[in-house]
Amino acid sequence: MSEQAISQQEIDAVFPKVAQIIADALGCEVDDVKPKVPLIEGLDAESIDFLDLVFRLERGFGVKIPRGKIVEDARGPLPEAEFENKGIVTDAGLARLKEFLTEVPAERFKTPLKAADVPRLFTPETFCKVVIRAQRSAQATA
Amino acid sequence: MSERFRAFSFVDRITHRAGGRIEGQYTVPVTTTRFPASLMAEAVGQLAAWSAMAQLEFAWRPVAGLAAETNYHRIVAPGQTLTLEADIARCDPEAVAYSGRALIDGRCALELVDCVGPMLPMEEFDAPEAVRADFDTLRTVGAAQGRFQSVPSPQIELQEHTAGQRLRAALQVPQRAGTPYFDDHFPRRPVFPGTLLLDALAGLAVQLTREAIPGPSPDALMPTRISNVKIRSFTAPGTTLELEIDLIELDRDRARFKLGARNDGKTIASARIEIGQLESAQP
Repeated sequence: MSEQAISQQEIDAVFPKVAQIIADALGCEVDDVKPKVPLIEGLDAESIDFLDLVFRLERGFGVKIPRGKIVEDARGPLPEAEFENKGIVTDAGLARLKEFLTEVPAERFKTPLKAADVPRLFTPETFCKVVIRAQRSAQATA
Repeated sequence: MSERFRAFSFVDRITHRAGGRIEGQYTVPVTTTRFPASLMAEAVGQLAAWSAMAQLEFAWRPVAGLAAETNYHRIVAPGQTLTLEADIARCDPEAVAYSGRALIDGRCALELVDCVGPMLPMEEFDAPEAVRADFDTLRTVGAAQGRFQSVPSPQIELQEHTAGQRLRAALQVPQRAGTPYFDDHFPRRPVFPGTLLLDALAGLAVQLTREAIPGPSPDALMPTRISNVKIRSFTAPGTTLELEIDLIELDRDRARFKLGARNDGKTIASARIEIGQLESAQP
């Protein structure tokens, strides 16, 4: 399914609330939550924080973010077998990720990239886009 | 005697389970010498865990994770029965999300709001078939009452102390030998319960509040609200944790603190707490 691109304007509209939710979840200052800071390396987030974040975003924005949705969206149209091979993201998978995670600078896509390390790339902007997609999907089914 | 399903189990009977709702009860044994208020939250969490484990055919179990808000209204005494309720908002092999309550004689004693327990494979913690058998017991005849005896007071050594403001302390988590609750929490992998860690932190926050607010009688000051609880990793028996309590805000009759616990410098738990007088204790 092709996806309508998410505009900077849409991201700017949700960012302040997403940033506050991230600051609350991680116990950091909202000023430290920049759109492109890596959540794991830059703000010390751990897997429990991602779980916390998804639930807080669901409550804060009144949307549903299904389990595994972020990674599923990141994979896009690629079947799992073409996205990764023995836990390593394939060249096709990497190309798809770069296209999907436009907020992540090219130099952060290290190779070989383990599939389990994909969340290391996520930034606050990644979660803005998650919220926008969830809002769109809620509107589409309304 | 085996302490499994005894030393740290706080549901005696499941009285109702349908849709996302589960109800049960727990009577605090009359012989109990120490039943920290945080164990009321443990009881509600365990009730929600029973629902989640049953729904996932005992292949997964939730472990302490997140609690957005816990509000305390009254304290249970030995011999009293807690009526427990939990509403499961979501349950899958990743996590269970729920809210719940404990009531005493029909009046709300404790509310848990927006809790999340990450799921881990049951096999790591206990024998799935034994847990299923315990669930059947709770659903039918109920477990024998009076199984819980007590938990030891936290072993704390103060390191830095600014009266009414700030505390740094070391918490010595007990060794497995001689600590019955580790045989129940959990039989295959002993883990220091997050609710006992919160009890230790809350006790220090009460101490700071007594120094800051001389007014109310010391016994009247209790945790009234704990928010943003996040347990990041497991704590094994015998660990020494570094506890941090910092005043955020002080009112005429209540104080709010930031709580943290570290293991080897790494934050393993964080929360915020409000200390004041319980509604039930106010004139």
